[in-house]
Amino acid sequence: MEEKIKNISEEYSNKIKQAKSLKELDESFLALFGKKGEITLLPKEFSKLSKVELQRVGPLFNQIKAELEKEIGDRRYEIHEESYKNLVNENIDLTSVKLKTREGHLHPLTIFEKKIADLFGKLGFQQYDGPEIETDLNNFELLNIPPDHPSRDMWDTLYIRNKEPASPAKRGEQGTRNKLLLRTHATASQPRILKECKPPIRMMVIGRCFRYENLDPRHEHTFDQFDLIYVDRGLNMANLQFLSEYFLKAMLGEDIKVRLSPGYYPFTEPSAHIFGTCVFCKGSGCKICGETGELELAGAGMIHPKVLKNCGIDPEVYSGIAWGVGPGRMAMLKYGINDLRLFNSGDLKFLQGLKNESK
Amino acid sequence: MKVSKSWLKELVDKVSIKEVERLLPLRTIGTKEITEDFIELDMKGYNRADLLSMRGIAKEVAAITGSDLVGREPLTYEVYSNKIPTTPVKVEDEKLCPVYCIAKIEGLKSGPSKSEWIKKLNDSGMRTVNNIADITNLIMLEFGQPMHSFDAEKITDETLVVRLASQGETLQTLDGKNRKLDESDLLIADSEKPLGIAGVMGGKESETSDTTTIIFLEAAIFDPKSIRKSVQRHSLPSEASKRFQHGLTKTNLLKALSAAIKMYEELGGKLTAITLTGDLEDKIKKITLTQEKVNELIGIDISPKVIEDSLKSLGFILVSKGDSLGAWEVSVPYWRLDIDIEEDLIEEVARMFGYEKIPAKELKGEIPQKIDQSLFEFIYKLKSALAEAGLTEVQTYSFSSTKVLDALGFDESNKDAIVKIANPISSETEYLREFIWPNLVEVIEKNMKQDFTDIAIFEIGKVYLSQKKGSPKESYRLAMALMNGTDNPIEELIHIVKNTLSVIPNVSEESLDSNHEISRSTRNDKNDGLPIEKGELMKELETLFHPKRYANIKTGDKIIGGVAEVHPRFLNNFGIEKRVAILEISLDSLI
Repeated sequence: MEEKIKNISEEYSNKIKQAKSLKELDESFLALFGKKGEITLLPKEFSKLSKVELQRVGPLFNQIKAELEKEIGDRRYEIHEESYKNLVNENIDLTSVKLKTREGHLHPLTIFEKKIADLFGKLGFQQYDGPEIETDLNNFELLNIPPDHPSRDMWDTLYIRNKEPASPAKRGEQGTRNKLLLRTHATASQPRILKECKPPIRMMVIGRCFRYENLDPRHEHTFDQFDLIYVDRGLNMANLQFLSEYFLKAMLGEDIKVRLSPGYYPFTEPSAHIFGTCVFCKGSGCKICGETGELELAGAGMIHPKVLKNCGIDPEVYSGIAWGVGPGRMAMLKYGINDLRLFNSGDLKFLQGLKNESK
Repeated sequence: MKVSKSWLKELVDKVSIKEVERLLPLRTIGTKEITEDFIELDMKGYNRADLLSMRGIAKEVAAITGSDLVGREPLTYEVYSNKIPTTPVKVEDEKLCPVYCIAKIEGLKSGPSKSEWIKKLNDSGMRTVNNIADITNLIMLEFGQPMHSFDAEKITDETLVVRLASQGETLQTLDGKNRKLDESDLLIADSEKPLGIAGVMGGKESETSDTTTIIFLEAAIFDPKSIRKSVQRHSLPSEASKRFQHGLTKTNLLKALSAAIKMYEELGGKLTAITLTGDLEDKIKKITLTQEKVNELIGIDISPKVIEDSLKSLGFILVSKGDSLGAWEVSVPYWRLDIDIEEDLIEEVARMFGYEKIPAKELKGEIPQKIDQSLFEFIYKLKSALAEAGLTEVQTYSFSSTKVLDALGFDESNKDAIVKIANPISSETEYLREFIWPNLVEVIEKNMKQDFTDIAIFEIGKVYLSQKKGSPKESYRLAMALMNGTDNPIEELIHIVKNTLSVIPNVSEESLDSNHEISRSTRNDKNDGLPIEKGELMKELETLFHPKRYANIKTGDKIIGGVAEVHPRFLNNFGIEKRVAILEISLDSLI
């Protein structure tokens, strides 16, 4: 038996060393470790051995097995590295390039976000480019969400690590304010907009937001949000109803019925959740809408006077509407997508399989 | 909050549960689940502390369904305060513990709870322990006021102290875990040892058992922020701590305490001592409300009568201001901690009126001046051109995966220079991306496994660059990747780029290929190659890209990125045997 093992070792060591290509190496690998490989089959013969023999053969076998594995790995690395040496002989020749014809595709979020932006663009809303890395101040505090407020539980937050540990002076309130985080909602840009623009304001923010979420078909840590910020004299909840109808009819069809319902956001008062007729059952009740015939589609409210004041706008003179929706959710409803994770998956079957009907 | 249907019927006269199910989401709050036994309210992040109690919900339900409450609210503490001795209590920090009440109850005998109690607990998502412990939970569910019972015999000197923990103290909590306490944990202790983390969880040692006959019943109000911190530090969220965090009222505490004592008395217990500390009166908030403001903010005409009736049904008291019909001074009921300003009252009026009845009104007012929209227009134009050229747009995470970081040659010695998440969900979300193209290589790997043999993709998105000083910088990038099955995909990629990047102003075609035979030495030059602000991070550049197939992309004299064939060694990390060409350019200077 020992003889046999040594022979295998010798034979294949040589083969491996002499292998010139990955293909040859793969052949040796299969001959050793494949289903019917020599190393794979050998232990079956061990039952014939006496205990004393086995005590010698066992360790030897394991040693040889490990050596051969390593030799193959090393040789594979060498063959790779040798082939890389030839790369310097390769060039670029742009004289005779064949261009393939392919069907291109925009990402569904791009399509929906463009549609949303165009829709509200017609009403004079303009896009604002807000940062994704925000301060606690903008993401929370100015929006009437003080530190340690229970409503912070609505946004599980990913924080940016501070390079230098905070000095004792920097801890506490001031420290919290300047703490950097990945914005948990597009509303984080609202304080910037309110401070930078003079009313009347009609702005929109579209972009990536982040939350501390474990992934499953209904939860993503990285997702897009759309937010409207509208400030003028005398805005009211009836305007909010108008915006909701305007948007949802355009996105999901003229026959959708849209209604507001009570909700809570710290940065709006009154706050509203926006419901529309379920797109799947058209209102008769189905599994997806929980037999209610309706789906919650967006969130909104009248901007809280504290938020306006925090950002230098007089709430006695002006009122505001904040209105937000998840473009991903719209796309899911429109295309019947049931897994939120697909958007960031790079899965080409998914991305190329969708009909770009709304282009 | 799970609302027991049968319990609700005890509290609200002739209430139709069907009607409650229909009206709650229209007037008050969304429902999460409805079963035969309970209606679960969707409380996540909600600010209505009063809805964390059956009595609070009963008041709301009575208002929205036009029903009456059954019976009277329980009496408050005055019944006891004169005749009964006190028991020693010491509150060291009144700011963290404004109200602390202890009632000593003797002569108890532990046993199973009656079935009616067990049903209430089960409907509410809790389990029965024994009659002594169940009372504290039933009272919490009914009044929203958490209660705790200590076994009096386990308490040294029968003295209860509310104090901050000192460094190094430990406590075995009810769940059997040993907790290291911190100087910011508020404790309930006796004269020797900690008995529980205030408002979070009691200690194992002072827990009531089957042999308990004397208890100290605690009802307290703790600072919500302090509770929240302890809950987070010990990751111990509970039904009790939730209520402490939402806020409690003193009136309610006294009612709950009285009701609890009554329940213990019904079990044969006797109240032998009671101590009430702190200011026990709630401040009544007064807010001015005008009909004009109501109608302005809702956008329709609501009459003074409707406004008055709506608010009165919810327990608000309205007094007309002067002679005017449409102006009031409104007193907020003590249980509505969420009402602070006029807008809060208007929301109440709108709710009772019915949000769903608010009509749509077109926007008036002038359209603001146009601001520069070229960034968004440019990005969309670029995306469309690339899709037109046959590429598929992908979006990948803003993070670099561990696999990408390894392949890029990052390890513990140099990872620190990347923008890092302080509390990552996993190691895959720990570092923000500095490049997009490696993510595209990952996408290629994934799709090759799905038998794709020709992959042409792009992404436009942000990268996050650490700065020596100040916040990280965000920069818009375009990245492309091509795996076309040939041994020289960069040739086709350069052609695609030349054909499509014409939409980018200022990028000349010549700049794309004039420079593609860069010698080894110049490639290592910091200014050559992809726009890498921290050149030292990419000192392994030659291991990432093909030694010859590489070109800069310039606008004017400025290098804004590069196009390259990815080195097979890099691809090997992803098990990709085919050749892949990539491009990455910064869009910032083009917009």
